[in-house]
Amino acid sequence: MEIMSRDFGKLEIDKSDIIAFNSGLPGFEDLEEFVLLPLAEESPFIIMQAVEDPDTAFVTVEPGNLIQNYEFEISDKTEEKLKIDSISNLLILNIITLKENIKNSTANLSAPIVINLEEKLGQQVILDDQRYQVRYKIFDTAEEVAE
Amino acid sequence: MLVLSRKLNEKIVIDDQIEITVVGIENGKVQLGIEAPKEIEIMRKELLEDVKEENKEAAKNNKLLDQLNNLKFDL
Repeated sequence: MEIMSRDFGKLEIDKSDIIAFNSGLPGFEDLEEFVLLPLAEESPFIIMQAVEDPDTAFVTVEPGNLIQNYEFEISDKTEEKLKIDSISNLLILNIITLKENIKNSTANLSAPIVINLEEKLGQQVILDDQRYQVRYKIFDTAEEVAE
Repeated sequence: MLVLSRKLNEKIVIDDQIEITVVGIENGKVQLGIEAPKEIEIMRKELLEDVKEENKEAAKNNKLLDQLNNLKFDL
């Protein structure tokens, strides 16, 4: 099927590429289908594009790129909702908020996206954990590549 | 909205399965103890509001995408 994406224009995707978010995302409760699009070859960034709205897409990255020993517990309820029976099928992503001054960009460590790749089910989980901020400055661990 | 007055260590029960106890009151702060079945999700409301706000902010800034290609991570 064809979809319109914010960052890459018209795209041909397979229906099986669609991840179902059955209650949307906080603030985007109506958007229940997303596809994951790598920003570029070898880029750690993944664009999470809403299938139902070309204008809504999130820049995401796996937490391993941002912080060491990122850990949280997945509740029984989420486990059930996402039909999780093995963590090996899970993909964890954190949403990046880009700022005009790229050095001030942040990642939301407090609300990771949990995706069961096997079942194509996803949810943004909110952690009430003092260690993880909604606006974690990513540039403290990132460097600009010298031209 | 139902409004109840409770003193320190007094409880309220919701639907026979959620029990909320006032465990501390000081300096305008109330500490609550909550006992609920595991499937009940409990969180501070301002955190949920904060995540909503941040999601909206994050969805806005596609014009800055190009700059991402100049970033790499140390970890």
